[in-house]
Amino acid sequence: MLDVTTRTRIGDKAAWLGREGVPMQKSLFEKYGGFSVISKIVLDLYDRLLDDDDVGPFFDEVEMARIVDHQTKFVSSLMGGPASYTDDQIEKMHARLTITNAHFDTLQGILRQTLLDHSVSDEDAEAIIALFEERRKLVVE
Amino acid sequence: MSIAAINEQLLRAIGVGVALLDMETLRFRFYNDTFREWFGDIEINRHLTDLFAGFDAEALQAALTSEGRFTTETTFRLRRRTMTLALAFNRALEKDEAIAVLVCQNISRIKELESMIDSYSMMVERNTREIKREKEQVEKLLLNMMPRSVYEEYKSFGVVTPRLYPSVSVMTIDFADFDRIAGSLDAGVVASELGDLFGAFDRIGEQFGIERIKGIGDIHFSVAGVPDASEDHVFAIANTAVRILRYLGQRNESHPNKWHARIACASGAVIGSVVGTGRYVYDVFGPAVSVARRLRNAYGEPMAIMADATFAKALDDRFLVEPVEQSEPVFRVTEQLAAARGRAV
Repeated sequence: MLDVTTRTRIGDKAAWLGREGVPMQKSLFEKYGGFSVISKIVLDLYDRLLDDDDVGPFFDEVEMARIVDHQTKFVSSLMGGPASYTDDQIEKMHARLTITNAHFDTLQGILRQTLLDHSVSDEDAEAIIALFEERRKLVVE
Repeated sequence: MSIAAINEQLLRAIGVGVALLDMETLRFRFYNDTFREWFGDIEINRHLTDLFAGFDAEALQAALTSEGRFTTETTFRLRRRTMTLALAFNRALEKDEAIAVLVCQNISRIKELESMIDSYSMMVERNTREIKREKEQVEKLLLNMMPRSVYEEYKSFGVVTPRLYPSVSVMTIDFADFDRIAGSLDAGVVASELGDLFGAFDRIGEQFGIERIKGIGDIHFSVAGVPDASEDHVFAIANTAVRILRYLGQRNESHPNKWHARIACASGAVIGSVVGTGRYVYDVFGPAVSVARRLRNAYGEPMAIMADATFAKALDDRFLVEPVEQSEPVFRVTEQLAAARGRAV
């Protein structure tokens, strides 16, 4: 008679964690407290962009709900939250706007300062800025 | 400074927009600094509707006269920002004169937050849908690798307990001369032919409740009585086997590629378990499996069914069982009807 006494595990818990035994890295979105904290960054950024006379005019004719929607997705996607824009989408969204390198730099500066003012570490802010920088070619004319 | 002066200072400086209107004429009599910040300089005695185009002045007056209160919202752009103000009018008396006190609260932030929550919840909902879709795909894949009841156990407990099935029947099939035929055909044709054949075998097996465990190259391996015990596992396999041969016979008559299956069946004990940690797969192994595999390799004949003694003895008179006249008990199984017609199947 066959004796079956052992139990076999399917896979290992590590299988769910990406590389074996190494937990998947938390996204910055999670690290900084999820939506409740990110929402404050989004609204602060919204204020600063509208108040800025360099980049603010881009939003002159845009409905508030649309600006907020884009800012929410923009910050969420840069920080690894539940949103992602494809390059194609970014390109299409900005196609009609005449965005110069100077505009892009201004926005980058505002974004960096906003992140730092919300206690995002220098290192993480730079990582986010680097992701932002990658999109420069998609929006600058 | 008199109390009245202090009051006026306060009224001017608070972050709420306040204006006083003559209730009968709805003309401005006073407004504070916050009000001016939002609406600009307004001449005293200007009419309310000069400021809010399209304002329903009659409804306001009617409400103030009856309930003494009227509320509404207004939206406008201040520089490039969309402002939303909640307006509350209240009736008041000043030296016998009826006046309306207009209090404006800035609720732009609330509106912005509402928009953000809408945006965020839509993102989350979309993500949830995507995750659900992915989960369904994973489930589909896993169901290809293991029977549903085993999958359910895995899903609930994260483990699958290996089980001993003392009495089941197994069937293994391969094709006579497979290597030569496969070598003469295009690789894509071989793969699609095998897919076609195994698909048909699976469908025939499903009718009798048998479960394909795996296919390795041209070897098809299935079992009856796992994971759900079944009393007629021998007949499930025997019926499937004869129908597979019948199907192949018909297919070979009309198809350019002829495949001759060698089938071996055995009954006995097997263990059902998920094997491996990565790339895991549900498998059965044990005496019945080994016997069937050996019979196919040692005694397999094109378009014939071989069986071990346990399997053969369990069959009834619907099947013809002949010993193969070898040193060990191996039997050739055919359908009675087919045997009477003098055919192999």
